[in-house]
Amino acid sequence: MPTDFLLSAIVLTPGVVGLFLLATPREAARLQRWVSLLASLLTLAFAAVAWSRFDPANASFQLVEARTWLPSVGIGYRLGMDGISLVLVLLTALLQPIVFISSWRSIHDKVKGYVVAMLLLETGVLGAFLATDLFLFYVFWELMLVPMYFIIGVWGGERRIYAAVKFVLFTLAGSLLMLVAIIYLSFVFHSQTGTWSFAYEDMLRAAVPMGQGFWHSPQMLLFAAFALAFAIKVPIFPLHTWLPDAHTEAPTGGSIILAGVLLKLGTYGLLRFNRPLFPEAWHRATPLFLILAVIGIVYGALVAWAQKDMKKLVAYSSVTHMGFIVLGLFAGTLTSTQGALLQMVNHGLSTGALFLLVGVVYDRRHTRMIEDFGGLAAVMPLYTGAFLIATLSSIGLPGLNGFVGEFLILTGAFPRHPAVVAVAATGVVLGAVYMLSLVRRVFWNPLAIEANRSLPDLTWREALAFAPLAFFMVWIGVHPGTFLSLSEAAVRRLIGG
Amino acid sequence: MNPSDLAAIAPELLLVVMGAVLVLADAFVPALRPRFGAVAGASAVAAAVLRWTGPLPGAVWSGALVVDPLARFVDSYILVAVVLVAIIAGPYLARTAASYGEFYGLLLFSAVGAMVLAKADSLLVIFIGLELLLSISLYVLNAFHRDSGVSLEAGWKYLVVGAFASALLLFGIALLYGATGTFSLAATARVVAERPLAGNPLILAGLALALAGFGFKLALVPFHAWAPDVYQGSPTPVTAFLSVVPKGAMLVTLARVVAALAPQALTPKWLPLLATIAIASQVLGNLVAIAQRDVKRMLAYSGIAHMGYALVGIVAFGFDGLVGVLVYLAAYTVMNIAAFAVVSAFSESEDEPHLITDLAGQGWRRPFLSFTLALAMFSLAGIPPTVGFVAKFLVFRAAVNQGLAWLAVVGVLASFVSVFFYVRVVYYLYMKPLPQRAPAYLEPWPVRVVAGVCALAIVGLGIFPSWLLNAAETAAKTLLR
Repeated sequence: MPTDFLLSAIVLTPGVVGLFLLATPREAARLQRWVSLLASLLTLAFAAVAWSRFDPANASFQLVEARTWLPSVGIGYRLGMDGISLVLVLLTALLQPIVFISSWRSIHDKVKGYVVAMLLLETGVLGAFLATDLFLFYVFWELMLVPMYFIIGVWGGERRIYAAVKFVLFTLAGSLLMLVAIIYLSFVFHSQTGTWSFAYEDMLRAAVPMGQGFWHSPQMLLFAAFALAFAIKVPIFPLHTWLPDAHTEAPTGGSIILAGVLLKLGTYGLLRFNRPLFPEAWHRATPLFLILAVIGIVYGALVAWAQKDMKKLVAYSSVTHMGFIVLGLFAGTLTSTQGALLQMVNHGLSTGALFLLVGVVYDRRHTRMIEDFGGLAAVMPLYTGAFLIATLSSIGLPGLNGFVGEFLILTGAFPRHPAVVAVAATGVVLGAVYMLSLVRRVFWNPLAIEANRSLPDLTWREALAFAPLAFFMVWIGVHPGTFLSLSEAAVRRLIGG
Repeated sequence: MNPSDLAAIAPELLLVVMGAVLVLADAFVPALRPRFGAVAGASAVAAAVLRWTGPLPGAVWSGALVVDPLARFVDSYILVAVVLVAIIAGPYLARTAASYGEFYGLLLFSAVGAMVLAKADSLLVIFIGLELLLSISLYVLNAFHRDSGVSLEAGWKYLVVGAFASALLLFGIALLYGATGTFSLAATARVVAERPLAGNPLILAGLALALAGFGFKLALVPFHAWAPDVYQGSPTPVTAFLSVVPKGAMLVTLARVVAALAPQALTPKWLPLLATIAIASQVLGNLVAIAQRDVKRMLAYSGIAHMGYALVGIVAFGFDGLVGVLVYLAAYTVMNIAAFAVVSAFSESEDEPHLITDLAGQGWRRPFLSFTLALAMFSLAGIPPTVGFVAKFLVFRAAVNQGLAWLAVVGVLASFVSVFFYVRVVYYLYMKPLPQRAPAYLEPWPVRVVAGVCALAIVGLGIFPSWLLNAAETAAKTLLR
């Protein structure tokens, strides 16, 4: 495959295959499952090829593709990959086949719609990570909305409609203002240079005027519009209320993708766009975001602690974890930003694994209430082991991936914001509290409920879905340098350090 | 009159002749009725071919009409709409026992009216195109179900309100004529440019009245009240036609008037007024649409809002604005016709309201049509990668580039509200259980063809809009020379 098409191949493979699958008869569920799995594996292979051709020393975009699209408006089909997009593309491409494997049996109704929605969603996510044109980015960003709406609304739990509509409205509320901001940014660039463009590299050169105050400062307003869209996606406290609903009601596969990669788009956007495009506004907004991040960390942990529903607990743990990532981004040092990026991957792995594993018992018992379980360690030893690994990764046990990310964020942020770090560190402790108490209640308590005595252990398919996640948890935990070195040059460039 | 004048309006002449032939054939050879739809569609295609191969001489007929690339652009989507409506009308009329042959003749006359209107370079021709050709045919078409109360009500309402609007427009034209002594847009503009508007109540009143007349036809707030009843009561193919063709032609006429009157000179007066109308239409249209249970009424309110968005392009007048308006009209045509074609196929009965609950669960039983309707809804909501998004993007971009970023902000907030009711249609289609009964009616292949064409256009033009954009840019250039 020539390099010129590699990124397009990564982005378009799932979506194009998905559109072809639309034409297959609805009874051909087996075919649809296999083809979608193969398409996602092919995408993963393309992503691996991109990794092998990637030069970590080079900070700028690589494997660049640029084609004209709407030249008179300055819009191009521009794709490019730097270290930051690379790690997130790898994460996405890795999680997608896992999603298909995990929903092999659990989705048996309307299989065609499900796999098509998933594949289109993957195209949207990958496109958003690789787009280097703001218009194109926006198109991919919104492209994710419709498939996710269907995934939650059709295959979700009891309150799926409420959750799906809430997801759509929250997401759009942020992104529509971002659209105006994107247009305005292009307008500023035009007024300064006389050329129309939506290219990311051009926008970096547009110096948006800072002005006075908030309402009269174009830079603050644009920053706010972008930040709102991303903060809702992350989600940053207090915009997080859609998350527990969407995560809880979505089918297992939807939760994995939602937590694993969709949330990362918010933090990715903050890093990719807000930070370099609006540096002064970023600086001025830092205290606010640090405070919100810390509130999110502590609040998310406390609420997670109080949950009776396993899936909701994991959902709230996302609020905490994403709070750490936001903290790392806004602390702004190289170490903390690198830690935040690594933590994006870590959270994708560990939370993806937790949702996957909660889905396993839900498929068997059709309940996710913690009180309905207990003593599972005796009947499902393999499952218990897997859950324990995911838990320990999530709470940051040294040797596993979560520790590296949190450690880098906290050490990176400490010199600049010691007080913030001190409060945030309590979140690490609370994380251990709610996760370990979950493990105790589900796995170690006495096996009191009769229905749980005969639960089958992990099937080979479920184990197969979990294995790659565990593999990367250990790899990152033992040798994070593999991934940190990929993104270092690009992060340096973005934070100007 | 010289031969080149005739050549310039050959498409219109062809349609008038074919319309007359159809009406006469209905009276004398009724056996041919089943072929009328094909004849009307073929005539429209032939007219489009003539337009694209024929000359574009600019002003013809002593300056009464302008045949320019802008006119060609507008004609193209009017004729596309005619073809699509002619295709869905056949099965519809057969099903509702209303296969009277005049339908297609009136459709062609109405199209000619819209084409004339969009080419008018004289106030009088604006009136003629609007009233004699476009509206009168539509009054009949609205009431085409001559035994149905709602249909008659629709025709009656459109007639009364339309006559009122025409009277306003005519009165406005008369005042302008009194003040300037000419019907020609260019000559009127010269007179207006010479005298300060503020000291000229006659011109101001004339313009205001004409604008009100335009507003009625575009169903802009506060001239919108007729739209829901007329949309609901008219035969669905007619609603599809009514919702795109007159509005498109009218908006282009408005653009011609604004361009002629040198927007710079008028800006301080026009801007707040037009912007208020645009915002009011967006807000009211979208808010009231939320409360609708009848899909056709919902689409009527959505149409009010969409004309509000398109008007943003006129408010931000200039090259970008005009391009935005033109792309918007083309986009609106395909998505609205798609929506009405499918809604018509899904309705239990034409006498009943087209309730949104009729759509429940259809997504899994009739996947192709449902997919098209869902696509149309997402396109109307402005979600990429659809042509509706491209259109909204272009008008909002025009606003931002004219320093009217606040107008774009209001526009996106209004779109946000609209997502709620568009997505609700998708919710009924895919997330509601299917009622345990057979569908009242299964669509024949022509409806599927129209749905397929519209779906392809919605996505195709959404992903590859450059062709449409280039055509709109060519058209806009001629007006803003």
